[in-house]
Amino acid sequence: MRSNNFVERSIAGMLFFLKDTIFSEECALRKGFLQSLDPRVKIASFFLFILQALLSGSIRPLLFLYAFSLCLVLISRINLGLFLRRTWIFIPLFSLFIALPAVFGPGEALFSWHILGIGFVATRQGLGAAAIFVARVITCVSFVVLLSLTTKHFELLKVLRIFKIPQIFITILGMCYRYIYLFIGIIQNAYLAIKSRIGVGVKYRQGQDIVGWHIVSLWERSVGLNEEVYKAMLSRGYQGEPVVWNDFKTRGRDYFWLTTVVAIIWII
Amino acid sequence: MADYGGGNYMDNIVFELKDVYFSYLGKFPALCGLDIKINRGQKISIIGANGSGKSTFLQMLDGLIFADKGSVSFYGQQLNEKKFNDCKFSQDFRSKVGFIFQNSDVQLFCPTVKEDIVFGPLQLGVEKDQIKKRLEKLCAALKIEELLERPVYQLSIGEKRKVAIASTLIIDPQILILDEPTAGLDPLTTRNIVDLLIEENNAGKTIITATHDLHIVDEVSDIVYVFGQQRSVVKSGTAADILNDLALLQENNLVHIHSHRHKGRVHIHPHLHSGHYVDDHQ
Repeated sequence: MRSNNFVERSIAGMLFFLKDTIFSEECALRKGFLQSLDPRVKIASFFLFILQALLSGSIRPLLFLYAFSLCLVLISRINLGLFLRRTWIFIPLFSLFIALPAVFGPGEALFSWHILGIGFVATRQGLGAAAIFVARVITCVSFVVLLSLTTKHFELLKVLRIFKIPQIFITILGMCYRYIYLFIGIIQNAYLAIKSRIGVGVKYRQGQDIVGWHIVSLWERSVGLNEEVYKAMLSRGYQGEPVVWNDFKTRGRDYFWLTTVVAIIWII
Repeated sequence: MADYGGGNYMDNIVFELKDVYFSYLGKFPALCGLDIKINRGQKISIIGANGSGKSTFLQMLDGLIFADKGSVSFYGQQLNEKKFNDCKFSQDFRSKVGFIFQNSDVQLFCPTVKEDIVFGPLQLGVEKDQIKKRLEKLCAALKIEELLERPVYQLSIGEKRKVAIASTLIIDPQILILDEPTAGLDPLTTRNIVDLLIEENNAGKTIITATHDLHIVDEVSDIVYVFGQQRSVVKSGTAADILNDLALLQENNLVHIHSHRHKGRVHIHPHLHSGHYVDDHQ
């Protein structure tokens, strides 16, 4: 029973996470400052911020950029708690474990302790380097999360065109994004259908079979859908190279924002 | 229309199928010996039980699949794969024939409603100003202005169907092919779609509809073709001829007899398949 509950919780958790993080777009639909910018300008400016964070050798500009990203969170009507949770969750994963050994690097000793007879000495230079590393990661992650929260995903895809990525790849990515949601619904319903017929008391071996059949069935549906969607594209005149509607507009506030960003980077 | 066919007679026949056979994977027959002519400006309905070949027939008319045997012609020109390799012909055909799929999730493959609606005319090289005008007009007619920036997966079935219809109508095709346009829809949305089809037909468009819903057949048909389990036409005629032939409808699983409660009493009589509406309350 425990293992079944674990599987059920895992599936439900994964699907909820996908729906919540990828498909909710709740923040991107709010009328905030970053949401009002041309996505192309927003991406260019965030790219400059991230580049600046990567090139900064001292902690002050990094802390300034991080504080600035928090101000952007507030004027873009994003819940600060949600934003901090989304960003700080990455820190132990991507930087803390890497930065920790640096604390004990060569330099002026600050404090020391012993564990199982092994001595550890934290140094001023080591702590400084670790702090810069963590600040750099949190600043970069903050701008990336801020970008994904305030921009609709299909707009992010469309902006990929400015990086000269072929339209066919962008169209395929867009279709994946569109149909993942459909398949999430199918997985959820299939799981409920299985549960309604056989309950939760499934033996390990039987459970493996069910998951196997389900994967095959999903694959078959995906292939069938693929053929039908292609027919639907042909039916509306698709001839191998998709033509798309580009309705991005750059306005006065976008130029003002870009000038401000360049000025900030110049100053720090 | 001048670019197809020779004389007036050919100009008037949009599709002509002669002894058409089609099977899936070469072993599952889907159409067996179809002979059908569809004239310009007509309203045609195809009715038949599940698996009788209706959707296959419509896909064949739209040049998405091709006959194993026999011929399908469009304004006198035979449709085959080679013909569609000619970009000019393909583009011309696609701008004249619009197909609304049974499953709107298949037809709506773009991330947002707006991108889905404008996909067709963009591929067909329609000017952007023209697309904008058509989009505004269609959105107002179908009342879908509010949906334009929304992702397709957030829409209800009825909204998806309206968007699918808009994505085809924006091409402004002369011939509109619809596969089960009212399946699973509430009565009001069904009514809106039927009204729209009648309006489009009055504007000169040819309307070809496959449906189970016998309630809409009378309004959307000049001629009705009944497809049987042998995957061919069992009978054709006016809507009145077909709908009054209860034996034919029963034989082809389009009506069924069962008891039910009506006006406070339980009685037995033939029923239409769709939605348990009653066709003959005496």
